[in-house]
Amino acid sequence: MTSDPDRTPSDAQHGGPSPACDAAPVVLLVEDDGLLLMEAADTLAEAGFTVLEAPHADQALAVLESRPDVELLMTDVDMPLGSMNGFALARLVSRRWPRIPVLVVSGMGSPGPHDMPPGARFIPKPYAPSALVRTLHDTVRRAA
Amino acid sequence: MVAHDADAERASPEETGRRRAIREETARLRALLRAAGTDPQAGFPGSAADWEARLATAEELNARLRASEAFTARLLAASRDSIQVLSLDGTVQWLSEGGRAAAGRPDEDVIGTPWAASWQDGDRVAAEVALAAARTGRTGRFRAPSGPRDAPRWWDVVVSAIQGPDGAPERLLAVARDVTEAQRAEEQQALLMQEMAHRVKNTLALVQAVAAQTLRSATSVDAAMEAFNGRLMALSDAHDVLIRGAWAEADLAAVVAGVMAPHIDALAGRFSASGPAVSLGPRAVLTLSLMLHELATNAAKYGALSSPAGRVAVTWALSGDEAALLRLRWQESDGPPVAPPRRGGFGSRLIERSLVHSFGGRVGLRFPTEGVVMEFEAPLAAMQDGISERS
Repeated sequence: MTSDPDRTPSDAQHGGPSPACDAAPVVLLVEDDGLLLMEAADTLAEAGFTVLEAPHADQALAVLESRPDVELLMTDVDMPLGSMNGFALARLVSRRWPRIPVLVVSGMGSPGPHDMPPGARFIPKPYAPSALVRTLHDTVRRAA
Repeated sequence: MVAHDADAERASPEETGRRRAIREETARLRALLRAAGTDPQAGFPGSAADWEARLATAEELNARLRASEAFTARLLAASRDSIQVLSLDGTVQWLSEGGRAAAGRPDEDVIGTPWAASWQDGDRVAAEVALAAARTGRTGRFRAPSGPRDAPRWWDVVVSAIQGPDGAPERLLAVARDVTEAQRAEEQQALLMQEMAHRVKNTLALVQAVAAQTLRSATSVDAAMEAFNGRLMALSDAHDVLIRGAWAEADLAAVVAGVMAPHIDALAGRFSASGPAVSLGPRAVLTLSLMLHELATNAAKYGALSSPAGRVAVTWALSGDEAALLRLRWQESDGPPVAPPRRGGFGSRLIERSLVHSFGGRVGLRFPTEGVVMEFEAPLAAMQDGISERS
């Protein structure tokens, strides 16, 4: 990580919104477990993100259609209530909204060869909150 | 008998060592006879009685050979394995009854064909490697499926050399044992391990979220410790209830009983639970257990369970079209007057957000003076998700 040119000491210290963005970056969290979502939303809100929530893929798509300001999608994989899982959602979003970077989070070991859309990142559960925040900031900055 | 078997197995299609011994013995006798006919002085090495004995020996050898061959045939027929004799180039020359059953085709469709070609694409290489090993006197071994793709049989295949009289490989023996059951069991085991790893990770993530949320809303380290331990025990009790249902389902009444068990001493006669039998899926069990635990803990601290006269009733029912909606109510009564909490702590946030979010339900948490009421309704199908996964 020390070789990562995107990460400057000042970013790491204040942990706030990226200097590249004027407002708090808007992240859409897709997670079916209410408790995990609550904690992830709190973590990201404290780190300076504006957090939108969806319990499953269908709801996530509705949010994306109504909110053009979404800058990042972070989705769980197993979401029994929706019509598709997180991988399918990730692939769909990267096709329909190619400018929105996608992060897939799951307790499953690692994704299969065709699960992830190109460029998407996989984060295993459980994750360290600070690492998640760092990854999200990096991702938003790269997409900017 | 052991020597018979070894000999007979070595080359049923052609001359065995025993047959050769008889042929040689007969030839020797013929030579002696010829010598006796042309030169009376040559003399027999023995009397007429010796001759009788020699002939008797030859006949006995013949009889034993026939018995041995019949036994070998029965032996091979008795084996459930698919046994095939191959030429050194891998062409099928002979197959046992087990081999015939495994091939599922008439002998003439199998004999004369290359054995390795009977395996599916990727396994053909393994078959060729096994043949190559056997040709050099080593043992080739692999495991491969055959038969229909949707329901293949799995075979543990051993290929070895049949030695000729000079000890060099003369033919090859391919013995395939049906290991379909073992293969299925191993696949099942691998699947279970993967599933367990997934569950452990999810459980750790859940515990992480409980810990973080507890610390966020705690007023002191001691309070956080106590609250976290209580929540962890509630999750642990929920696991016990789930494990009784093979982690597939749990009865709602058992879930309620599991959550209330730690409070049961203080509850004698003051707690009631009633409703129809309802099975819940694992996710619903964990969420509901945490929610009820928060309500019970709150009731024990400030609510109905903090005073001797207070009571708690948990009731549930199925309603709506085809009983598709689960309604559950937590009702406290006869406790001290209720004051609404000043800020939404972990419990109320969990109740207000988790259930609605996770199961698409509706929830109401109210604090009337006479006792806390929590009511929720959620689609039963969402609460039962995961039940069918095991089948």
